[in-house]
Amino acid sequence: MKLLVPVKRVIDANVKARVKADGSGVELANVKMAINPFDEIAVEEAIRLKEAGKAEEIVVVSIGPAQAAETLRTALAMGADRAILVKVDELVEPLGVAKVLKGVVEVERPRLVILGKQAIDDDSNQTGQMLAGLLGWAQGTFASKVEVAADRARVTREVDGGLQTVDLKLPAIITVDLRLNQPRYASLPNIMKAKKKPLDEKVPADFGADVKAKLKVIKTEEPSSRKTGVKVGSVAELVDKLKNEAGVL
Amino acid sequence: MNFDLSEEQRLLKDSVERLMLDSYSFGDRRKYQTEKRGFSEAMWARYAELGLLALPFAEEHGGFGGGAVETMIVMEAFGKALILEPYFATVVLAGGLLRLGASEAQKAELIPLIAEGRTKLAFAYAEPQSRYDLVDVETRAKRDGDGWILNGSKDLVLHGDAADKIIVSARTAGDTRENDGVGLFLVDADAPGLTRRGYPTQDGLRAADITLERVRVETANVIGDPAGAFPVISRVADEAVAALCAEAVGSFTQMQAITLDYLKTREQFGKKIGSFQVLQHRAVDMFVDLEQSRSMAIYAAIMAVESDASERERAVSAAKVQIGRSAKAIGQQSIQLHGGIGMTMEHSVGHYFKHVTMLDTLFGDAEHHLRRLAALGGLSGDQRME
Ligand SMILES: Nc1ncnc2c1ncn2[C@@H]1O[C@H](COP(=O)(O)O)[C@@H](O)[C@H]1O
Repeated sequence: MKLLVPVKRVIDANVKARVKADGSGVELANVKMAINPFDEIAVEEAIRLKEAGKAEEIVVVSIGPAQAAETLRTALAMGADRAILVKVDELVEPLGVAKVLKGVVEVERPRLVILGKQAIDDDSNQTGQMLAGLLGWAQGTFASKVEVAADRARVTREVDGGLQTVDLKLPAIITVDLRLNQPRYASLPNIMKAKKKPLDEKVPADFGADVKAKLKVIKTEEPSSRKTGVKVGSVAELVDKLKNEAGVL
Repeated sequence: MNFDLSEEQRLLKDSVERLMLDSYSFGDRRKYQTEKRGFSEAMWARYAELGLLALPFAEEHGGFGGGAVETMIVMEAFGKALILEPYFATVVLAGGLLRLGASEAQKAELIPLIAEGRTKLAFAYAEPQSRYDLVDVETRAKRDGDGWILNGSKDLVLHGDAADKIIVSARTAGDTRENDGVGLFLVDADAPGLTRRGYPTQDGLRAADITLERVRVETANVIGDPAGAFPVISRVADEAVAALCAEAVGSFTQMQAITLDYLKTREQFGKKIGSFQVLQHRAVDMFVDLEQSRSMAIYAAIMAVESDASERERAVSAAKVQIGRSAKAIGQQSIQLHGGIGMTMEHSVGHYFKHVTMLDTLFGDAEHHLRRLAALGGLSGDQRME
């Protein structure tokens, strides 16, 4: 079976994000970028499925600027087989991404698309669900465990207060959560191999997708800084403060 | 000149930096330090898994054909994390001697063992009287049938106590300090007649003093020409200095970042101390030192493989001068700006200072290299002093 893993190039999780002076968004000039951490988990899961003999080929795809090729190379160096860069210079909203992905799916015909549960830059948490909607496929989101059989996938989902297991008929969409696996580091042998793996360049029009922005960003603000805490002397005092100062009880 | 990393170099950097970020916090390091050999065997296995132990070796020997820039990338990441493992001793030093000096048969046997993390090596070059002079070798190797007998003592053998095999420089001919007559001998760490006394160095890594009493070495374990190894030693030393410069830059980067963070956090007189202009000046000075060091470390890495000895030596020495000076400057500023806490065992910044001080003294301190540079005519080579 073929697996498709969409990966997004985002601001590195270890970098402190700063809002642009004009409030139009987050400053990305000269900022370290990396593969979205959830997508790394998705790539890892795909590799494990391949290693377990459940899949034959892993195709990674990224929609973004030319530099997203770096993100794809990272995925190839982890162990993906082939990459597709759908080049767009503007920011693409989740619906635009989902439309492009639908086009990619129609060409590539994967049995499973494994996405991150969300991209840490805008925390949308929408693309996987929208793609499932557009394709009319089953979806298992926030996966913390994935088991794949011939034409079904069992996905254990992290939901509020517990775990839920869904049984999906393939083809299907899975979005992965943090605890699914621990992604590997690209080793030198795999880095060398990645050099020779194919990376195709496309544009959204190749998939008949319209990626024009439908949303308008009104403003972007830094979160207010955290106030220093206080130490309470007793449980009674804590309860009193929660009740009367914080008003949460 | 294009200083951008290639795709493979970027991936390598990402991988090593991530590994360090995930598994080499200052707290992790303290745990590793209490392990039997003073470093983490588990991390050593990770380095092997990632291919780092095979990095500089040729592909036909199971390596990846990495050059000085790849080594720089790895050493810089290691310097940031202040790693304890014998990467420098095994891969850069001993690995360098094998790469440049060993026979095909020796490489075929040893390099896979290093690459798989199964064998650690050390290089015993320094002697009590030798100071920074690599050719000042009193340890003697005498012909004995079809082998050699070694007598002498070696000091400060980096990671000598953890090594499975030790490469020893010894004199087969000539007087102490003669260029000709030095050979390299591969000795098992448990060879009869070899004793080693291991100890922690002042920066918390490990070294050993080694005594050789009638240690027998078979001809098959002589690396290169038994009387003509000095050119190999000096090339490896230059590569080693370039690697140390990169490691220092990693440490400097961290010292500067930790200190800057402290300036932005610590309050005094009701204000963040970073708001005081005099301290801002110091922070700027640290940054300037860091960036000058970085540029020189890159220069040293590019020039470390230069075959013209005097060009190579000039570049490497100039870099080491900068690193030695910056080690002091950045180290002192970072401790000063932290105040008392900077000197405690619990805070990382003092440990960085100790380590970069050690890096300054390895393979010649700033003063030694300044003298060498002057003798070679300065960085441009045309300012020779008569
Ligand atoms: N530009 C993009 N290129 C490739 N995959 C993307 C892109 N944007 C989002 N995705 C995928 O959709 C997931 C959820 O993203 P989001 O809905 O933006 O939070 C990500 O973890 C990726 O797997």
